Amino acid sequence: MKPFIPKGGISMRKTCCSLVFILVAALLFSTPTWAEVQIKFYYPVGVAGPLVAVINGMVEQFEKENPGIDVEPVYAGNYNQTMQKVQTALLGGNPPDLAVVEISELYSLLQMNAMIPLDPYIEAEGGKEFLADFYEGFLGNAYGRDGKIYGIPFQRSTPILYWNKDMFRAAADKLKAAGLDPDRPPETWAELVKYAEILTIREGNQTKQYGLIIPGGWNDWIFEAFARQNGSQLIKEDGVTVTFNSPENLEALKLWVKLMQEMKVCPVLRPWNITPDDFIGGVTAMMYYSTGGMAKIRKTAKFEWGAAFQPKNKQYGTPVGGGDFHIFKGIPKANQDAAWKFIKFMTRPDIAGYWSIESGYVSVNKKSYELAEMQEFLKQFPQMTVARDQLKYAYPKMMAVNYQVIRNAMTTNLDAALEGKKTPEQALQAAHKMIEDAIKGK
Amino acid sequence: MLKGVPILPRGGGTPHSLKLMKESPEKYRNYMFLVPGMFFLLLFTYLPIMWSTWLSFNRWNLLSPQPKWCGVENFLKLWNHDVFWLVMKNSFFFVTVSIFPTMFLALVFAILIDERVKGRVYYIYSLFYPTLIPMAAAAMLWVYIYSPNLGVLNIVLSKFGLPKLGWLGSSQTSIWALIIMTFWKNLGFFMLIYLAGLQNVNRELYEAAYIDGAGWWRRHLAITFPLVGPTSLFVLIVAIILTFRVFDQIHLMTEGGPGNSSNVIVYYIYENGFKFFDWGIASALTTILVVILLFLTLLIFGLFGKRITYTAD
Repeated sequence: MKPFIPKGGISMRKTCCSLVFILVAALLFSTPTWAEVQIKFYYPVGVAGPLVAVINGMVEQFEKENPGIDVEPVYAGNYNQTMQKVQTALLGGNPPDLAVVEISELYSLLQMNAMIPLDPYIEAEGGKEFLADFYEGFLGNAYGRDGKIYGIPFQRSTPILYWNKDMFRAAADKLKAAGLDPDRPPETWAELVKYAEILTIREGNQTKQYGLIIPGGWNDWIFEAFARQNGSQLIKEDGVTVTFNSPENLEALKLWVKLMQEMKVCPVLRPWNITPDDFIGGVTAMMYYSTGGMAKIRKTAKFEWGAAFQPKNKQYGTPVGGGDFHIFKGIPKANQDAAWKFIKFMTRPDIAGYWSIESGYVSVNKKSYELAEMQEFLKQFPQMTVARDQLKYAYPKMMAVNYQVIRNAMTTNLDAALEGKKTPEQALQAAHKMIEDAIKGK
Repeated sequence: MLKGVPILPRGGGTPHSLKLMKESPEKYRNYMFLVPGMFFLLLFTYLPIMWSTWLSFNRWNLLSPQPKWCGVENFLKLWNHDVFWLVMKNSFFFVTVSIFPTMFLALVFAILIDERVKGRVYYIYSLFYPTLIPMAAAAMLWVYIYSPNLGVLNIVLSKFGLPKLGWLGSSQTSIWALIIMTFWKNLGFFMLIYLAGLQNVNRELYEAAYIDGAGWWRRHLAITFPLVGPTSLFVLIVAIILTFRVFDQIHLMTEGGPGNSSNVIVYYIYENGFKFFDWGIASALTTILVVILLFLTLLIFGLFGKRITYTAD
């Protein structure tokens, strides 16, 4: 091969000049000159489904209504990845203007002194009246320890129980023989166990159909729900007192181990992101999953399905989940104002309602449910109301500094217990100690 | 030709140093050509290595947001942490289990393709295409292949009467699932390198061996295997470094789980740095990784570097 040798200095210089020219031109034209304020908006997609297109559509609508503001939506991956991008941007001294992060990250962001309190904006909008439109259950995770509000709910969910009505009907005789109603989902833990057992179909030593899936990956979140249903919790609201090893929690974990190890009616640690496909594909009769997965199931499931409250033990109970909007420090006031406008837009009854219909998340704005469009939609899909109604029994999700370390300690130990590598007692003790250490920063 | 492109002093009467001095303006000019490359190498490789080595002796996390000197505290913490040892075990397991089958099969396929004239391109493409698919897409593909009840792999297994496995969802199989996927992804790349290496082997040797009555295996054992030595050395080192650095598929397929059973060192670095925001620990892990890779590379060169047959003379 001949080596590439430029023919002469002039042509080289020409190439360079034109390259530089093109670069400069590209830079000039890439920024639309008409927008007065540009804001960068980082958002995650935490559930299955093509939600990126939905967000882009909403951003376009906002820009149409607010010609001076240019919003650049940055799809930042799942919840963890989004938090990392925000984190990296903060460290680099180039914070986003606006971001949605997972609600448990609030204390970590506060620790980094990254956000502005939103109280002044809320005051200007009418203070309590403005907040009254939001479901209280969702606002619990928005406050810092100083009592100021740092987040506005956006994509919010709770875990719910999905059930395959066709499978229930197919097993009607057996269910009736056991004194169970095939036309309704289980309402208590005891019923859950019975239903799951009857609905499991085995062929030889292979399980053809599971009674139930409690997926892995976010099982810490679903475990928190079980803790609540048993009248306990994992970390108290102060973000410091750990109650992980309470007897109520132990009872909950023992129930899980029983379902997975002893009765084998629930697969062990089914990955989070393929669990909806298992439900849609008829692998399981029931599953615990985020309400955020509902849109996908609605669009692809070819059978009759229902959504229900998670069964209770001592009481109904669930933590909320999802992500809130946050506005960041270290950006111009004009950008913060624009970001607030965007938040207001996104939580408006019609927009929040549209988001809820498209994604399956609960609309954060109560007034969404008064809109004719929404009511029409809910008539067709009454399942969508379940998550909203379950909010009556919803608690704030646990929050603490170093949340990711805590979450890791929880999932690692839950996984070990569910695979039978640790006894439930050992797992809870180990997690308890690791979490206490993480909170103290050891 | 450009003037002054490497004219190395070769013997002659002039003393070495004198010649260099005479040529010094040109020599500087030659060095100037290195400047842009060196600049980026320094900026993006050497400086970060030094910076992270320094950081590994500092406490720097969410609870102490400014780097603070703490000696070997980070290393001690890791030493006393079970997960660190599990991660090291997983990393070495991943490397040792995946490298040798990959290398061996890559060479065998390269030989087979090399000997084949008909449909050669078709074979090269079909083995090489996994390398061309972006890792993110490949990982998602395999998530579905591994899906316990609906995935194609378990369906095939049960057709043969074998038990269905949990693959990504079980701590016994998760690392195997990743090794198989990585094997599939890397095989074509190493095969292509071997194929290039085979072109340097003198054909006459095979003819001579054939005339002497050597069979297929014998020919390759005695000629091919030793003569692709330099290629193997290259492949071995690249494979070790690539497999030690596996990250994307773990991030996308298991996030190190369940219970850290598929967590390897680079993913652990990432977890500590960008999930737990403990940059001190993450830097200490990076230092450990650099030391391990440096040690392995030197070891391999020391062991094999001199013994390798570079030509057939």
